[in-house]
Amino acid sequence: MTIKVRFFAQFRELFGTDILTDAPPDGMFISLIAGIAHSNPEGYNAIFDKNGAFLEFVILMKNGKRIDNSDAAATTVADDDDIAVFPPVAGG
Amino acid sequence: MIAVQTADVDIGGLINAAKQRSTGAVVVFDGIVRDDDIVEMELEAYEDVAHKELEKIAADATTQFNLLSVDIVHRTGRLAVGENILIIVVSAGHREEAYAGSRFIIEAIKKGVPIWKKELTKDGGRWVPGEHGHGAGKRG
Repeated sequence: MTIKVRFFAQFRELFGTDILTDAPPDGMFISLIAGIAHSNPEGYNAIFDKNGAFLEFVILMKNGKRIDNSDAAATTVADDDDIAVFPPVAGG
Repeated sequence: MIAVQTADVDIGGLINAAKQRSTGAVVVFDGIVRDDDIVEMELEAYEDVAHKELEKIAADATTQFNLLSVDIVHRTGRLAVGENILIIVVSAGHREEAYAGSRFIIEAIKKGVPIWKKELTKDGGRWVPGEHGHGAGKRG
């Protein structure tokens, strides 16, 4: 029973993707991502600001649904969640 | 046909399939890898979400512009200069609706579908900047 965390594009290059991990002790979305991001200082600074909040342009999803960055600090995660973190999209 | 795939697509076949008795216009958008001093372009997608977003955009365009058919094929993987990236084929009763519907679709894709492009050069690569403040799967 784990959580899958996917990173895409630049973030995938920094952290890898399809990372299977347990929920953080506090069960919070932001703690989950920060815990992974701390493994790579360059990557951490690509996602978080100096106050530890998600940068405005970082896009967050939980189980295929967008999470507003302002809600991330209050969003929980649980086993079997599918989390995605990525930069602004550039298709077309 | 709504697809996120590595394979190219038969545009002529899509055009023929789009023609119905009530069709007055078919508009084709073909986005192509441009030679901006690159070797190749690499495209990456969050495929499940991207496919759902394309389906929603097609449905919205159909309703808003009275389209008769919509095909969207967005390719992923490594593409050479000159290859097709994105094919949009729409049909409608009149040209105004077909042009407007096609434009709506491409702009919506650029704003909200989780796909990224990396330009591969002789010296490495560079990610094409996206549009800040937008993203896929917005609530609702």
